[in-house]
Amino acid sequence: MGMSIGLNTAVLALRAHQLAVDVASNNIANAQSPGYSRQRVLLRPLVLGGSYSAPTGLLANPGAGVDASDLHRVRDTFLDFQARTALGSDAQWQASATALQRAELSVGEPSDSGLAASMTQFWSAWHDVANTPTSPAARSTLLNAGSALTGKFKAIRSDLVAQRRDLDVQVTDIARQVNDASTEIATLNVKIAQFEAGGAQASDLRDRRDVLLDNLSLLGNISYSEQADHTVTVQWGSHTLVQANTSENVGVQPDPGNPGMNRLIFTSDNAVLDTSAGKLAGLTQARDSALPTLIGKLDTLAAGLVTNLNALHSTGFGLDNSTGNNFLTGTDAATIAIDPALLAAPEKIAAANAANAPGDSSKALALANLQLQQLMAGSSQTFDEYFANTVTVLGADVAQAMNNADGASLVMQHVEMQRQSVSGVNIDEEVTNLNLAQHAYNASARVITVIDSMLDTLINRTAV
Amino acid sequence: MRVSDVGRRDNALRQLEGVSQRLSKVQNQLASGKRIERASDDPSGASAALGYRVSLAFETQMRRNIENATSTLDVTDAALGSATEAIQRLRELAVSAASDTLSGDERTAISFEVDQLTQQLVQVANTNFGGEYIFAGHQSRNPAYTIAGEPATAVTYDGDLGVRARQVSTTDSVDVNIPGSVAFGSVFSDLITFRQSLEANASTGQLQQGISAMDTALDRILAARATVGSRTARLEATKYQSESTDLTLQNLQSNVEHVDIAEAIVELNSQQNALQATLGAIGRSSSMTLLDFLR
Repeated sequence: MGMSIGLNTAVLALRAHQLAVDVASNNIANAQSPGYSRQRVLLRPLVLGGSYSAPTGLLANPGAGVDASDLHRVRDTFLDFQARTALGSDAQWQASATALQRAELSVGEPSDSGLAASMTQFWSAWHDVANTPTSPAARSTLLNAGSALTGKFKAIRSDLVAQRRDLDVQVTDIARQVNDASTEIATLNVKIAQFEAGGAQASDLRDRRDVLLDNLSLLGNISYSEQADHTVTVQWGSHTLVQANTSENVGVQPDPGNPGMNRLIFTSDNAVLDTSAGKLAGLTQARDSALPTLIGKLDTLAAGLVTNLNALHSTGFGLDNSTGNNFLTGTDAATIAIDPALLAAPEKIAAANAANAPGDSSKALALANLQLQQLMAGSSQTFDEYFANTVTVLGADVAQAMNNADGASLVMQHVEMQRQSVSGVNIDEEVTNLNLAQHAYNASARVITVIDSMLDTLINRTAV
Repeated sequence: MRVSDVGRRDNALRQLEGVSQRLSKVQNQLASGKRIERASDDPSGASAALGYRVSLAFETQMRRNIENATSTLDVTDAALGSATEAIQRLRELAVSAASDTLSGDERTAISFEVDQLTQQLVQVANTNFGGEYIFAGHQSRNPAYTIAGEPATAVTYDGDLGVRARQVSTTDSVDVNIPGSVAFGSVFSDLITFRQSLEANASTGQLQQGISAMDTALDRILAARATVGSRTARLEATKYQSESTDLTLQNLQSNVEHVDIAEAIVELNSQQNALQATLGAIGRSSSMTLLDFLR
């Protein structure tokens, strides 16, 4: 009995250490695979079932050998939870910082060729008309400066509008990304439940499911919990996204409250997706709040110029004695333009305060001096100041978004490091395990040789 | 803390990225010479920078206006100068004409010169500068005076009392013209009357009115020149003010917008060292593995 137990022990040991080598080999193979959690095999002494009359004392059973009790991935679900919160916050601020930075580039201040510079050139041109009211050159310079200014307004605004559309495309693309992830999670739920019903752990399937949960938390406000049957239930906001083997489809529909833009909905019940976290929050915030605010300020500035210039200009007189002419047309930054009548006949520019006074430039001077008047923001800012303030607020928003993004990114990296620290593969460690397993395997083989030689002694060398 | 290979690689990449970012920021600043490329680099600094730009452009325009105003006033002063000379000569003629000893023929001869000088004076009053008749008030597209008759029997003022002003600072504007009717008054009709008196060989008493008329005209023109002079002086002071404001603004702008080169180069060196050290550390540590030491 004793010697066959010894043989059995050695065979079990061979198999156990073979398994340890396999696990180390798999870990090394996946050392660089994203989302892979290192696996570990737990060896423990084998406990024999049943009973047999064992000798007592020194001949007590030395043990029945080794068993591989558990093969599982090393993973800390609390770190996963932390990492997913950090991922969402990082994605949100990155999206918002990127969008704001683009807007800042479009505005392009401080610069020698931006809107602010065009505006000062415009006022200067009015002064030149005031200096030489009868000069056709001064008048056409003014019209050019005016066209350059209105052109700047239009260019910046159409850039910002295009950026909003681009953000909208990114928002609608989130629907596809969510659907891809949630359908695969539902499929994995089924496979994991089936596999783990037998008690073993479906490490690779779980790794994949965790990658998908990471992806989802990057996109939006998700929460999740693992059920007793090893499936995971995912909520988007307060709406179920994945439950067991089913996932809710996310669709896109035009947002009635936001002309030209789309919103994400659950197609089953038309519920609108929560936009309070993740990339969706960053994109939505930039698309529906930051950019419209900026566009609104440009529109206000353009409208302020149109209203105030026209109010004054229409009371003046041109060289042709015409009066009541507007200088600008339009109502916002998209439509602002020089009145075409003036472009066709620069002598209609009203530099004079009275008819038949070609040398009078007091109206032109008054128009030039609009630059110095606080006509914006409830009569508290000049046009220049209003625009400078717009640029400053935008700059501060960008700086803040970038700071938040950096901060979120640091947290994310830190948690990711911790996650890697627990689950990542260390090759030196695996080589050590490999070495140990190799030695143990060699020793177990040696045990078989020894028992073989003992049996040889017992069977062939003893006279019967 | 346990370190995984991917974790170590990510960490090394992050360190490298951080150092490279800081290095490239300093490089950009040195290349452009600007500390603020975008508003977000320093929002309040950018606001100040925009303000300085607007103020600098405004000051430049004010100096353009001052230049324009100064040259208009200089031309006005020169015109009034020649007018003074002509009227002084006319006064001399009036004094000699009023002498009892002059014959009728001699007075007729003087009347020719008076007519010449009257026409000359009208030309002066019709001085054109940069397409504008400077003594015509707001009617600056047409000559201020028209002359009728040969010799002149009537000189009419076609201008008005319109005042043309230039903005020269945020709060100050300066008038750059003196309407002809103000500068010259009734000198032309006085001259015509004087000439007609000469031709008619009028009494000494009548001819003496020519002297007082010229005195009045000289007083008027001198007053006009004094006005022009004081305006020019004001413009000069304003220009000086604007230039010193300009310098201050440029300094302020430079402090906010421009890179301190010395500081940036020190920063560049230290970031280069950091990059070198990081690369060295990564190179050495990542090449080490247990496998090198196992048989």
